Amino acid sequence: MRLSGSSLSVRNMAIRELSSLEKYLGLKKPNKYTTQGDKKVPVLQNNDGPPLVGLVTVGCHLVREAKRPELLGDGAEGRALVQQWLEYRVTKVDECSKEDTRTILKELNAYLEDKVYFVGNQITLADFFMYFGTHSLIVGLSVQEREQLYQSCGQQQQFEHQPLSQEIRDGLQSVPLPPLLMLRATA
Amino acid sequence: MKLFLSEGNPHCLKALAALVVTQAKCEVEYVNLEGKVVPFLSRPALPALMLPSGQVLFTSNAICRYMFEISGQESSAICDQWLEWEATNLQPALVQALHAAVLQGRGSEVPKIIQGPLNYLDQNLSKGKTTYLTGESVSAADIALWAALFPLLSDSTVTTGEHKAVTLWFNHVNGMSACQLSAQKVLQGKGLQGMKSYMQKQPQSSHSREVPPSTS
Repeated sequence: MRLSGSSLSVRNMAIRELSSLEKYLGLKKPNKYTTQGDKKVPVLQNNDGPPLVGLVTVGCHLVREAKRPELLGDGAEGRALVQQWLEYRVTKVDECSKEDTRTILKELNAYLEDKVYFVGNQITLADFFMYFGTHSLIVGLSVQEREQLYQSCGQQQQFEHQPLSQEIRDGLQSVPLPPLLMLRATA
Repeated sequence: MKLFLSEGNPHCLKALAALVVTQAKCEVEYVNLEGKVVPFLSRPALPALMLPSGQVLFTSNAICRYMFEISGQESSAICDQWLEWEATNLQPALVQALHAAVLQGRGSEVPKIIQGPLNYLDQNLSKGKTTYLTGESVSAADIALWAALFPLLSDSTVTTGEHKAVTLWFNHVNGMSACQLSAQKVLQGKGLQGMKSYMQKQPQSSHSREVPPSTS
């Protein structure tokens, strides 16, 4: 297996991310999650139907439950773009090897160059999940690797743990990032 | 709206089939495998759909989902769940299986590589008892999974093991004229060999990555 340490940790953190999302959405009753398969895919036992499987699927369900459809994007285009970035998160960011980290962050940097949020003019679920995903990527790097990264991306030190915009970080400031101690130890 | 495609790429098959099935109004342009449509991505990403606003969708599942939504069929939670499973579970196994079959001439290894995801799909289709993945009408999930599996399941030179429910479902989707037409356009009736140039251009890292025998 050539999966990096950070991507394995990301998977174990999926449930923690969903709990943070519940808090962010103001959902009163916390859900109980299980995981499925070797990839530890989060599963939500749904009272209204069959269980829901997968980080993106469960995340979108929680947003609908909280009646916050604007977080899934505005209009058909907005919704498609949000789904695209959610897919990018679980396929590209989570599967990213250490060697690919720079490529991924460069792409995001280029995409976000003239943008505040991933999609449209307000925070969406795409910002939420990309916030967690990129955070894990950067924290998974050693100090030296991070320095090389900042240089190659032409970024300043504020890039430290988050390549995303200040607006996204402000919008999500009530969301606690997952504990990083274990990740730091491996960095 | 404009859809950029390349030949021999099963992801482009998804996008074209979704377009033909939903009859969305959209221009189509074929570009070569190296065609760079999305400026910020480091590698060429196809298919790419230029939206009316000028923004670009560069993942095939998001394109399928969008085509169905603008034709009046909004994606359900179960549809989204299949699309996520396709991207995170089926694709890694498929990439490995196609690499073995198309580039290494090791088609005999395909059943072992692909059996986990196919068993999962088979179990769910048997339990669901509906013609299509999400009910009695075709959805974005059916098109995405059909196109992803098309190169393997339509080629008689490789075996994938027995999956009765998968075969039944696949034949339903495969029988749609929109799917036949799209497959002919994108894969040119050359089967697995029609994908050779595309497979050769895929990054080596995802080829060599082992896929755990996950059932999820």
